[in-house]
Amino acid sequence: MLIFAASDKGGTGRSVTSANLAYHRALAGDDVCYLDFDFGSPTAVAVFDVADAREAAEDRGLHAYLIGEVSEPERIDVWAKTEHQVLRDPPPGCGRLVLMPGDVSGGEFATTDDNLRRCVDLLMKLYHEFDLVIVDLSAGRSYAVDMALEATAQPEMSELTARWLVFHRWTRQHVAAAASLVFGRRGIVAGGVHRGHDEEALRGAIRFVRAAVPDPESPLWSQVSPTQSAWMRKTDGDLKQLASTAGIGYSQVLGSVPLEPVLQWREQLITDEDVLDSQIANQETWTALSRLAARLTDDKYWEEA
Amino acid sequence: MTAALGQSARSVLACGEVRTCLLPSFQALDGRAAAQLLRLRADEHVRVSERPTMYALSPEVLTGVDCRLPTSNGSKVRAVGTVIARAALTEGRLLQSTAYFSAPAAGPDTRRPWGQYLVRPGLVEPFGKLPQQATVEGVLRGAGRGELDLGTIAEGLLTQLRRHALLDRRVPFKSRPTHLRWVARRQPEGERASLTNFTVAEGGLRTMELRLPEDVPAAAAAGLCEDLALHDWLLTTVQQMLDNSRIGAADGPSVVEALHPVVVHLLHLWMPRAHVDAALGHLWDVLEEKPGFSRQWEKLSRRIRDRLALQAVTMPHQAFSPR
Ligand SMILES: Nc1ncnc2c1ncn2[C@@H]1O[C@H](COP(=O)(O)OP(=O)(O)O)[C@@H](O)[C@H]1O
Ligand SMILES: [Mg+2]
Repeated sequence: MLIFAASDKGGTGRSVTSANLAYHRALAGDDVCYLDFDFGSPTAVAVFDVADAREAAEDRGLHAYLIGEVSEPERIDVWAKTEHQVLRDPPPGCGRLVLMPGDVSGGEFATTDDNLRRCVDLLMKLYHEFDLVIVDLSAGRSYAVDMALEATAQPEMSELTARWLVFHRWTRQHVAAAASLVFGRRGIVAGGVHRGHDEEALRGAIRFVRAAVPDPESPLWSQVSPTQSAWMRKTDGDLKQLASTAGIGYSQVLGSVPLEPVLQWREQLITDEDVLDSQIANQETWTALSRLAARLTDDKYWEEA
Repeated sequence: MTAALGQSARSVLACGEVRTCLLPSFQALDGRAAAQLLRLRADEHVRVSERPTMYALSPEVLTGVDCRLPTSNGSKVRAVGTVIARAALTEGRLLQSTAYFSAPAAGPDTRRPWGQYLVRPGLVEPFGKLPQQATVEGVLRGAGRGELDLGTIAEGLLTQLRRHALLDRRVPFKSRPTHLRWVARRQPEGERASLTNFTVAEGGLRTMELRLPEDVPAAAAAGLCEDLALHDWLLTTVQQMLDNSRIGAADGPSVVEALHPVVVHLLHLWMPRAHVDAALGHLWDVLEEKPGFSRQWEKLSRRIRDRLALQAVTMPHQAFSPR
């Protein structure tokens, strides 16, 4: 399966969350490939802790591949190359976890026929090799998003299952922005239809993910005053109403990830060690990520509305 | 100094890379379709043999090169000539491509007219002396940017074939392509070819070193390496499918679902040396000795049959009606 991760703005939690989803699926036994198509600000190398491997790979990343400078993008075997101690010892039975990094020097670029061709070739090849291919796309209606829409609209890609996750934070502006990224006049759906996607099918393949959602009931806020607490509950309720009105209500949400202090401080994978042994991360975060990871391929959550 | 044509054409080294993958087609291709797929040139036929396994070999295509040789010691040697690429399809199911070239001990210091390279297909001449050991190591390690990259040529051919309109681009199961890099040092005619090294590296990479008598063409070495790569792919792939820890688990595929494709699509493909040149068939013996390719295969096949048989006994209904 192909999963595209999009968001209207930067800083939504798209990259960090989707990397954690890749990690969870690999732990569960899937062979997973994570592609950093966030050409403006590639971050996956930091999240997976593979800076040295990236260094060794020079500029042979996805950007160089798509513009035809190298014949194959670099692959980094995360379990083998990570500098993160816990990740170096994956449990028996886990699947492969491969990162295809972006390029340090790569910026955005236009979708030419040749670039598109190479993109299709790559996605197809990886689809036949991995159980799950997760593609992190630059924020907004970027070239990366256009390329993903264009690539998946090609007739030879029609056999592939592709799904879209749209990440947003839990604020008024982010909710409105996410809705317009998908349903707006220049949104993903309109752009997809323009490129030949079937509207129904494309809509059915898009779900939203609410990232870094503060839970008014969380112990994090146990010290706030009753007035503050009441305000938070009210605002949370208003946001739910707003999301629903904007067409990204409950039925369109694949899941949410709670505000996690560790991620607030540092872009990283949350391991079971962080949750169980050192207990620096919250159990709820782990559970939410794990549930979200399972839903990626659970058709129940993807039935067309 | 310009070496005489005939003399310089005598190669001291042959190098190649084979890539092996599952054909992206739900059904295996028959002989006719295979011939259509591998028709890389209009002026030459695809060789198809039906026995003992169905095997189709494309005509050779040439890629002109003028770039640095890959070297392990950083020495910058420009080389010019042509690299041969070809593709093979076994049982309409396993697709391979190879890119290879031969190199003489030394070449002229200036570039010849292009026509002179074209009359000796597959020969790449160094400017000056060939740094033989450094080139061997460079090829096995893999080319850097700007260096002659056999992997790129082989992959380019595979990519072209994967796009062919004949293919529905569906696979019966997921699998990982492998690549095998090989070098063959030339030795005097009449001596026996030998396999001096075979390694399994990370990322699906294999490397192989051979000694090849002068009278055995490089194409024969390419054929041997394709045969070894194919069987190595089979071993690796089936092993991985068996190792899938989720087989039979609640959220994983059933035993039948996971292993059925192996029985249907792969078990009958084991046929070592079926299409290997007679002068090189004995090199298989080395790998049969250690690590014991066929013994490993026997063991894997038995494990698969046992698991399926067990399934049939305990859950007869499920065993005979795979989803
Ligand atoms: N659940 C979360 N709780 C708190 N902070 C988060 C959470 N998810 C992500 N973050 C943090 O938010 C910031 C932006 O996340 P990132 O994934 O880089 O966003 P994007 O890819 O959308 O630009 C990062 O510092 C990240 O660690
Ligand atoms: Mg990001």
